[in-house]
Amino acid sequence: MNRRALALGVLLLGVMLLLPAFANSYVLSVATLILFLAYTGQAWNVMMGFAGQLSLGHSLYVGVGAYAAAGLFFHFGIGPWAGIWLSIALCVAFGAAIGFLAFRFGISGVYFALLTIAFAEFTRIGFDHLDWTGGPGGLFIKVAQRDQIDLANFRGPPAMYYYAMLVLTAGALALCAALLRSRAGYYWQAIRENEEAAQALGINTFRWKMLAVLLSSAMTAVSGVFFAFYYNNLFPEQIFNISRSIEIILGPIIGGVGTLFGPILGAAVLTILADAITEVLAALGWEIPGIKQVFYGVVLLVVIMFLPHGIWPTLARRLGIGK
Amino acid sequence: MKRREFTRALAATTAATALAPFGIVRAQSQKLKVGVLLPRSGVQGLIGQSCQKGADLAPALLKEMYGVDIELMNADTETNVDTARTRAERLIQEGAHVLTGPFDSGAAGAIAQVCEQRGVPFVINIAAAPQITEQGYKFTFRNFPTAIDLTRNGLALIGDLFRATNTAPRSAVFMHVNDTFGQSMAKGIGALLPRLDFLPFRVVETIAYDPAARDLTVEVSKAKATGADFLMLVCRLNDAIILRREMVKQRWNPMGIIGPGNPGMYENQFYRTLGKLSEYCISNVPWYNPKAELTRRIEKAFDKRNPKDKLMFHALNVGYTFEALMIAADAFKRARATDAKTLSEAIRQTDIRNRMMLGGPIKFNAKGQVEGNASACIQNLNMRPQVVLPAAAAEAKPVFPVPDYRKA
Repeated sequence: MNRRALALGVLLLGVMLLLPAFANSYVLSVATLILFLAYTGQAWNVMMGFAGQLSLGHSLYVGVGAYAAAGLFFHFGIGPWAGIWLSIALCVAFGAAIGFLAFRFGISGVYFALLTIAFAEFTRIGFDHLDWTGGPGGLFIKVAQRDQIDLANFRGPPAMYYYAMLVLTAGALALCAALLRSRAGYYWQAIRENEEAAQALGINTFRWKMLAVLLSSAMTAVSGVFFAFYYNNLFPEQIFNISRSIEIILGPIIGGVGTLFGPILGAAVLTILADAITEVLAALGWEIPGIKQVFYGVVLLVVIMFLPHGIWPTLARRLGIGK
Repeated sequence: MKRREFTRALAATTAATALAPFGIVRAQSQKLKVGVLLPRSGVQGLIGQSCQKGADLAPALLKEMYGVDIELMNADTETNVDTARTRAERLIQEGAHVLTGPFDSGAAGAIAQVCEQRGVPFVINIAAAPQITEQGYKFTFRNFPTAIDLTRNGLALIGDLFRATNTAPRSAVFMHVNDTFGQSMAKGIGALLPRLDFLPFRVVETIAYDPAARDLTVEVSKAKATGADFLMLVCRLNDAIILRREMVKQRWNPMGIIGPGNPGMYENQFYRTLGKLSEYCISNVPWYNPKAELTRRIEKAFDKRNPKDKLMFHALNVGYTFEALMIAADAFKRARATDAKTLSEAIRQTDIRNRMMLGGPIKFNAKGQVEGNASACIQNLNMRPQVVLPAAAAEAKPVFPVPDYRKA
């Protein structure tokens, strides 16, 4: 990382740290949403961006992670700090099952993507029939007083959730940066570029692809726990929905798949611009339902046509900093 | 007191007395800004737009009814919980005094948290998850039956129907869609039915099917083979059309088809696609009172605003959305203030008897829930949904057992 990149990173982190001091609740909620999407996008990026394994069912890990921690809290009063380990363990088990099935039997590309969707779907149907988690009627976590910070139960004002998400996103960024420079990172990139060639060079592709899936699922499980305690209600139909998976992957695709800062930039661009366009149209007196989805489609089209590697690589080049 | 002091005091009192009404007028002439959060795009887009029709009628009608000015601040939740939350924050930031919406329990839960934290009243139009009003919220109010009440009302109306028609079917075959809604209804019915001992029938078979199925031949033949007296059906629109056609194809004529609390069979597309075959299907759902004075006023305003549409095809959505805004307007009139605490307290004291939807007066219990919202037994008669029960609101007499489809 060059000096300019470091300076920009520190400046951005400084602004993010100070944001709650001058931002209103709305801005803070949007910023929290951006960080949530950035973190989850970063987790997905480990699997697709680094190791080249396309997952279209990442909502599975968000949902399982959320339900595991929320279920423990709801039924036994066990706080999220303990619940998070169950969430991670369950998501890793799901990831291991998907990875083993796919990599052991040579399922790759679009077929692997279909497998991930299938797992997310049948888990959704399973949760619809699981009384312990409320079934289709949903699981509601008791909402407590929000003025004071109760870290043990992860309860507090919006700024607490914002900072929690900021820490997670910064941590994920640091972890991914370290991973990319590690042996695992190089092996993943080799597998992503040409799996047969990587195998010919002696890389155990099964092992390293499994590691990417397990790490990605564990990271996503943490975002699920956050989701459960931020929104306090979970419905299988909403949390396991394929639209949530698409929402997770849009940020990295727009920002730049396989880059470190792409998922963060993509999440910010999509969320801020989509909100801005809604505001501008409202100010003009035009109420157009669904304009955000149209906008998402147009941005995706433009990025694919003119910036096939995402916004970040081009921007980084212009700013004179590395990927 | 000296004469000069007395004169000053008298002048001050006179001035205060004279200006007091203006103070009231000034407070009353304030606008109540109502944030309307609805899923106008995404999976629930059509329903959200249907609810919006109810909200759009409100400012003019409520001005006539209560003499208060309402300003709508519309926001699209995009059928997404995350968006619902940020939109709620945005509306409050822009100065909304009260929020209403959002048709969906997940979104309602997210908005309720924002409202609690920001101290802004939230009147839910439609959302059935019972837990929403079990959280101890101080600013959240709901004028809509919970999922349990919906199912209980729907099943109880089946008993009322049998009594009104002097019939006593002994068996039913229960068919339901196997999506989230269908599973939820099936579970509710399974739990409630054994406790409702006044119902004379037993369910001889339960058949679940895919709502996206293109063919229901097997399911219908299986249901027919049970020889059940009537069909209890939890469906959606498209599958209801396919299923009804299949019943005709297989010449299966049970005593009737009864939906215990689901959409599908009273929707415009059902009549347009099936024509005469849509006749006599029964749905027990929350509905408006066609004989209420308020319904007539709303229907008139609706027809004027939507000349190509009919209120009956938006009954539940328009009715409960309008009533949510009516609750806010009524509280605003009484509170003469827009501050959250006073407005919330006024909403808590609501007692509206002149209402559009069927049920008792709109009064909130300690949890912020209106109890006593009722359902109606709707039967398709003359190619439109008509209230046949309760008798006080009935537009026609119920027909059960229904005639053979060839005589329809």
